[in-house]
Amino acid sequence: MAVNRGPNPAHIVTVTDLSPQTLRSLIAHLEVSTDFEHLVYRESELDAIWSISGFVLKNDPEKADGETIHRLHEAAHRAHDLVACGRPREAADILRTCL
Amino acid sequence: MLSREENHVLTQTGPGTPCGEYFRRYWLPVLLPTEVPFPDCPPVRVRLLGEDLVAFRDTQGRVGLMDEYCPHRLASLFWGRNEECGLRCVYHGWKFDVNGACLDMPNEPPEYGFQNKIRIQAYPTREYGGLIWAYLGPPAKMPELPKLEWARVPDSHRYVSKRFQETNYLQAVEGGIDSSHSNFLHATVDAFRVTDSYVTKVRNSNNLRAKYHMLDRAPRFTVKKTDYGLLMAVRRNAEEDTYYWRLTQFLLPSHTMIPYQKGNSIHGHCWVPRDDQTCWVWTISWNPEQPLSQEDLDAIASETFVHSKVDPASFRPLRNKDNNYGIDRNLQRTTTMTGIHGFAAQDQALQESIGPEVDRTREHLGTSDTAIIATRRLLLQEIRALEEGQEPKTAHRGDLYWVRSCSLLLDRDVEFEEGARELMKAEV
Repeated sequence: MAVNRGPNPAHIVTVTDLSPQTLRSLIAHLEVSTDFEHLVYRESELDAIWSISGFVLKNDPEKADGETIHRLHEAAHRAHDLVACGRPREAADILRTCL
Repeated sequence: MLSREENHVLTQTGPGTPCGEYFRRYWLPVLLPTEVPFPDCPPVRVRLLGEDLVAFRDTQGRVGLMDEYCPHRLASLFWGRNEECGLRCVYHGWKFDVNGACLDMPNEPPEYGFQNKIRIQAYPTREYGGLIWAYLGPPAKMPELPKLEWARVPDSHRYVSKRFQETNYLQAVEGGIDSSHSNFLHATVDAFRVTDSYVTKVRNSNNLRAKYHMLDRAPRFTVKKTDYGLLMAVRRNAEEDTYYWRLTQFLLPSHTMIPYQKGNSIHGHCWVPRDDQTCWVWTISWNPEQPLSQEDLDAIASETFVHSKVDPASFRPLRNKDNNYGIDRNLQRTTTMTGIHGFAAQDQALQESIGPEVDRTREHLGTSDTAIIATRRLLLQEIRALEEGQEPKTAHRGDLYWVRSCSLLLDRDVEFEEGARELMKAEV
């Protein structure tokens, strides 16, 4: 029997980088998040993306892909606030524009 | 991170503010009975939720809590005379009872009946669980007292202390539910470095916290919304087939319980806004089965854990920011991470170092901060619901508070809610 290996919204995505894989995982989790607990986890992941991208911009402003990171930093902020309002799917759409 | 507006909503607790109105739907600890120890004793000043109040115990032993300022010329009733079932302003003699009724107005002609038209704002109080509680909300919405286990045990099973903290209440609550700080702030240098001598010491220890914190430095965090607030679970790898779980309770509006190990005493806090820059920290240690042990009382006296020695008048801890909390830099080099004695002073030092009101738009949270995020979101939901006319359910369900925190080992295939169900039930 096939086992459903879709994203589990009750699991926190480990955010250690700003890679497309990390963003895809976040987006997939955002799309299936419904409960209070799920939204808390998604908010913490977006906080981590916002923090990491913010530190990169601050510490290495001349970085070649600075514009991309700047867009991601702003998108993470907007997505974070949408999750806080209980709108995780819209947050996923925002984040998808950064892929 | 929070938006500026969210941060404002969560931290402003004066009259008329959304969060202030929310706190005014609950009974709040306000005084130790020893502050108003006998009938007709001197009144004391109380600052609570941004209001200046005065408390007194009247001739019949009832505790009154009222506006500090006499409605006549706004003189402080702290200077008042507590006499014959009322507090008399010594400026012009107006006298008020515990319910706020004006009993006497000797400087006005009695035929005007002026005293029958005047009241002072007074709030109901209750003596319960070794404390005096007050309700500052609308009389028609008066809630139940929370059936917290510590409030229901015999006096000999419980120790309560009160201290003044120079931060907004939310910073203090966030310290209470933040499980990830204890590996650092409260650690010894040996524990932090996992030295051989430390490993030898804790490997066969009964102290599960020390043992398993050492073995797994990267715990997994889970939160569950409950009828009373939140249950925060932290999971660490223990033995090959087990996890070590620590479960912290957050009970609305601002009670917390530290994970306890079966057989030890239990500890908790209630963090009450004094105003927007300071709060009252109520710390409770209790043993549901027996009187507190000599070991418990020694730990309290020596301030090693959650209680602090305070100035008896102001309740400001003797270790405070004016003396750098008694930091011993040599101790910090050799023995403990902070060089500050006692968990309470360590917490207070770091929480106060952030400033009286945090600008949470500038924070950088991560996935280990889920408990903090969950608490903020829950409080915001509750505050906004009240703004829309939905009364907080927990305030009217005292029985919901009949829970405990816990820590335990569970087989890896057991869900923590299931495995800890019995341990999380209060018994008294």
